[in-house]
Amino acid sequence: MDANVTAGHIDAVDDTKAILEQLQRSRLASAVDRTHAAASAATMNFLVFVDDPNHRSWVLERAARVAAKHPSRLIVLDSTSSISGVDVTASASTSGGAVAISERVDVGVATIGHAAIISLTQELSIPEVPTVLWWTGGRLLQSRTFSGLAQGATTVLVDSSGKVRGDEAIRELGEFVTRFPKIALADLAFMRLAPWQNMIAQFFDDPALREDLFSLTGLEITSGSDAEALYLGGWLGSRLSWEIAHRDAFRDRSGHTIPFERVAEGDQRRVRRVCLRAGESAYCATLSDDDPNVVELSVTGPKAQPMRYAPLGNIENTSLIERAIVETTRDRIFDTSLLTVRELLG
Amino acid sequence: MAINVGNPPTADGAATSANPLRAGLDTNRIADPCNIVFFGASGDLTKRMLIPAMYNLRLGDVLPTNFGILGFSRSKKSDESFRDEMKEAIDTYSRSGEARDPLWSDFASKVGYVSGSFDDVDAFRQLKARLDENDREFGTAGNRLYYLSTPPGVFATIVESLAAAGLGPKDQERGWSRIIIEKPFGTDLDSARALQTEVNKVFDEKAVYRIDHYLGKEPVQDIMALRFANVMFEPIWNRRYVDCVQITAAETVGVEGRGGYYEQSGALKDMIQNHVINLLALVAMEPPISPNADHIRDEKFKALSALRPVKPDEVARLTARGQYGPGLIAGKPVAGYREEASVDPNSTTETYACVKFFIDNWRWADVPFYLRSGKRLAHKHSEIAVTFRGIPHRIFGEAGDQIENNTLVMKIQPEEGVSIRFNAKIPGQKMHIRGVTMDFNYGTGFGVVSAPAYERLIADAMRGDATLFTRWDAVERAWEAVTPIMQRWSEARSVDFPNYLAGSQGPQSADALLVADGREWRRI
Repeated sequence: MDANVTAGHIDAVDDTKAILEQLQRSRLASAVDRTHAAASAATMNFLVFVDDPNHRSWVLERAARVAAKHPSRLIVLDSTSSISGVDVTASASTSGGAVAISERVDVGVATIGHAAIISLTQELSIPEVPTVLWWTGGRLLQSRTFSGLAQGATTVLVDSSGKVRGDEAIRELGEFVTRFPKIALADLAFMRLAPWQNMIAQFFDDPALREDLFSLTGLEITSGSDAEALYLGGWLGSRLSWEIAHRDAFRDRSGHTIPFERVAEGDQRRVRRVCLRAGESAYCATLSDDDPNVVELSVTGPKAQPMRYAPLGNIENTSLIERAIVETTRDRIFDTSLLTVRELLG
Repeated sequence: MAINVGNPPTADGAATSANPLRAGLDTNRIADPCNIVFFGASGDLTKRMLIPAMYNLRLGDVLPTNFGILGFSRSKKSDESFRDEMKEAIDTYSRSGEARDPLWSDFASKVGYVSGSFDDVDAFRQLKARLDENDREFGTAGNRLYYLSTPPGVFATIVESLAAAGLGPKDQERGWSRIIIEKPFGTDLDSARALQTEVNKVFDEKAVYRIDHYLGKEPVQDIMALRFANVMFEPIWNRRYVDCVQITAAETVGVEGRGGYYEQSGALKDMIQNHVINLLALVAMEPPISPNADHIRDEKFKALSALRPVKPDEVARLTARGQYGPGLIAGKPVAGYREEASVDPNSTTETYACVKFFIDNWRWADVPFYLRSGKRLAHKHSEIAVTFRGIPHRIFGEAGDQIENNTLVMKIQPEEGVSIRFNAKIPGQKMHIRGVTMDFNYGTGFGVVSAPAYERLIADAMRGDATLFTRWDAVERAWEAVTPIMQRWSEARSVDFPNYLAGSQGPQSADALLVADGREWRRI
């Protein structure tokens, strides 16, 4: 794949006419000298909000990779003071004989108010295509910019294990799900757990072990940050119709209390170990010391089985972002897990 | 005595449907535990494709929790030496790179080997003992998948030996047995029918998985999605709008050390009879009522049943054949077919075949389907090109002269995707029109690399999903379609071989076949 990039700069962030004209000029210029006619078909508006200078390049690199795969108008709302004014870029890339044009507008929004940001974003967005908001800012519903942008989006993507974290972030996401039922919400922190959910489910695919799933007596999750443990607990609780006993315990359908222990250990955003107890039996999935991409699966107690190894299959962040974009409907499993966690946190 | 040929599990997998944790999880994991036996385990296919595919299925967490793998071949070797060979094969050929611990050790502990001749019933009894042992040790529940990656001449022998050793489905007290059979299924219509009779004595048709790795390729599967998940193609997918269909399977490689096999086969039997005709069926079939394997295969069968037989006196007009001579591939000189190892210096085996078929039904009456396949051609290139009729009335004067027929191309390899050729106005004061191409490429469109076909197909067979495997009735129809051509070609030995240069577009006689219709082949 090779790319032909054409860029321009506008000083005034509120001059949307000039921005759109520059976008048009850049698009035409980038298609020059191509042997194929350029076909530009935007599948979405991809809004990316970033306010952390340390996180900025990480976010923008991933946003660009997603936008390169999905023809889109990428609108970067940069609140880090790294840029002033508006940078407009159009790039034509050739792959497999085809030419695709990507459009990108980077707007420095550090010094402008929420109403201006929302208005500007609406004017720069292509009508009639879905709008995906990837919010990496430090506040959620407390930010009027987030609320305003989210209301115009079809999908909102956050990471409650990133800049926003802690109990309050989860509470706010629960509030979001309730307040905006038509907007698809995705949380990278939850999406990262898919391999672990598969590991846990795997134990009980065996019908001989499945009855233990309905008589669990304890749950212990070790992770480097809170959101992972909370989400896994919330997911299990919602799948098994548990009620909340208190902040550190569930209650199963028979009324038995299931202590939920969360141990902080290991790298941020990584789960280290999940252990489920059912009487004398223990079902544990633990990251291997030999290979961080392999999980040791052990079943001990009356139904003991030989130790097994399973590939963890961690999914790279860009792929998770891409998956969130492709899924345009609400994820019922995520929603119920989130609401369970919100209830757990009180 | 239970006989279970293995019905496909539900979408969740039958064994996991009661597991509430599975709801909503995106998993490809195969539910049923099972043993898989590779016959011909010392062969090239097992090393290059099958064992790496199994290991990648393990890495992708697709294999069931409880599984076992046994190799069976004539060569004598221990479990350990077979594992060592398989590790080397994975290290060399797997798309995921070298096998590493602890996953490799875990995988290897499930791999064993049994040596014996394919007609040695005692060896098959040893195999049965190992399978029973695996059932006890690995919890594989009596489920067995046999994979015949041997020369076709021993397929029937293996099936007989399986039955004689009590390894057929009818002898099973629990679990299912399925058999994957590599192509070619027979060497002509009669031998295919004879093989089917032998296979059918032991395995019910629902338990037979005739593998054609072409059908496991992502773009081939996308043909159905393109046709039946979009509204814009189906209304024009018929004789009223389609001018012709060209299906191409071109290779740059020669016979790759398989001269002995190829001498008995040739392009018609090696490619057209299976891969290419299967593609034709997917393009030509009517919409199935569901994605159920039998519903799809019913429609493919009907399409193949409508193939107009090529009469002996039409063979010269409707077909062309060729054999490559020395030439250049990617700038490097390569030998001609007759100079290849194990090839008769006066060989009349065709390395290029093309056929013009018609499908006699309401949808396709009089629309030619041009099929071609050849070795040592200019590029490795497989595609299906549907060319539509010209516009009924030209309103653009001189500019109208440049208007091309629209073409929809389904690209199968090496590029995977879809392109549409349509006409557009060149920007400017005058009305100048030219053809432009709009491309969709799997790699950039979805950002994922398609898994090798063997991984998909082995997993499907383990799941009991036969959608991408060829049913006997379709195999029989395909043999019936090419048999008159085979017979005529064998009677009239070609005297002008070699008739195309390695690295070229193929023989002139193939070009002439289309020129006679006022058309031309798409460039390879």
